[in-house]
Amino acid sequence: MGMLDRYLQAVRRHLPWLRQDDIIAELRANLMAQLDDKEAELGRKMSDGEIEAWLKELGSPLQVAARYRPQQYLIGPGIFPIYRFVLRLAMTWCAVIYAIARTVEIIANGRGPEAAVGAVAQLPWVLFINAAVVTLIFAIIERSGPKLPEKWAQGAAMGNDWQHAALFNDAQFAGRKKPKTYAQAVAEVIFGWILLVWLLLVPHYPYLLMGPGVVILKVAPYKLAPVWWTFYWCIVALNALELTWRIFDLLRDRWQGPHRTRNLVKQVLGLVPMVVVLAAPGRVLIQLKNPADTAHAATLAQIDQWAYRGCEVIAVIVILQLVWMVGRMSIEAHRRRLAAVR
Amino acid sequence: MTLAENLFENLRLELRRGCLTLAVLAQLRQEHYGYTLRKALAARGMKIDENTLYPLLRRLEAQGLLTSEWREEDKRNKRFYRLSSDGEVIFSRLLKEWSDINTAITNLL
Repeated sequence: MGMLDRYLQAVRRHLPWLRQDDIIAELRANLMAQLDDKEAELGRKMSDGEIEAWLKELGSPLQVAARYRPQQYLIGPGIFPIYRFVLRLAMTWCAVIYAIARTVEIIANGRGPEAAVGAVAQLPWVLFINAAVVTLIFAIIERSGPKLPEKWAQGAAMGNDWQHAALFNDAQFAGRKKPKTYAQAVAEVIFGWILLVWLLLVPHYPYLLMGPGVVILKVAPYKLAPVWWTFYWCIVALNALELTWRIFDLLRDRWQGPHRTRNLVKQVLGLVPMVVVLAAPGRVLIQLKNPADTAHAATLAQIDQWAYRGCEVIAVIVILQLVWMVGRMSIEAHRRRLAAVR
Repeated sequence: MTLAENLFENLRLELRRGCLTLAVLAQLRQEHYGYTLRKALAARGMKIDENTLYPLLRRLEAQGLLTSEWREEDKRNKRFYRLSSDGEVIFSRLLKEWSDINTAITNLL
């Protein structure tokens, strides 16, 4: 068997078996004709060394066979942008839902920090499985697309309509980009004042907060623990601080600014009231109006426990919000740096 | 290969890909088998290596743009290709498109 035959045999092994014979027969005819031409030019038979060099030039059998296979994509360029968008969305929501679900589960079951570490360690696998499912769905769409060209065209058309609707909806677009007006900034200050006054009046006139429900507060055998006063004054102080900041911005003609620092400070200080509540002595958040009331003592312990766990969940949510905000700010800062370099 | 050369090579291949199809369709208004087609294209300045041309012929045939038949010539069985009737229609449309692009680029330069 000649060198060319051995080469063609090697190519055949990597070809789709249904078309092997046909492809090899055609390739043989073409290569033989080429070989004839080369020998005619030389005026003699080519040596084994020359044939070997020529075949090497043609490429490895695997490479040659690969060109006869249809180009295969797991996710093709047609749907890849949609795939990337959906994948990012799915990963983000998966991480958020997983974090909240596991946090609630850990708190509700009273498990320790080792459970939290275990939950964090499992997160990559959860995300991996999520990504695999999304990829599998899109791979099926990719494969079924060419087989169902009419449905495919309808899907693509729907994609176009969605883009147009989102891009040319003036009200929506303008609402997102329109800078704050002076009148809006003044209105925010006025409403900030009203909120602060309302907050200061609540302890004296509880119906401002609870409405008719204030009757229950009066007849119930329980009352709020002193820690809630500290919590209350923290909330008042936070609102007073934000109001002052807004007034300064207004006076310095900076009401249209992005207020990144203000928002970050507000978010960080927002943790203080939660820390105050969680650091309550003996984790006592609710007390009996009459300490000698033994009939309600047992229920009180249960109510206290659930109130404390509720506060823990809220604290976790506030921390997650802060992490999310810091993450977004870091990405925005990075983008601004890149834009400045460009 | 430097980064710039690599980038150029990728862009060049991208630019050539569509032109190769057009060149093959143009040349196959006359019947050819793989090797003579390659020689005819090279003689007119369009060099294509075997590993690109031969699979391309099969793809174009599968798309209905070419027809082929096995025939003996010089005591060897060879597969001869020719532009199909659908291929002729597509070819004239592609030619018009290429001509428009060429005019636009010339105007830009």
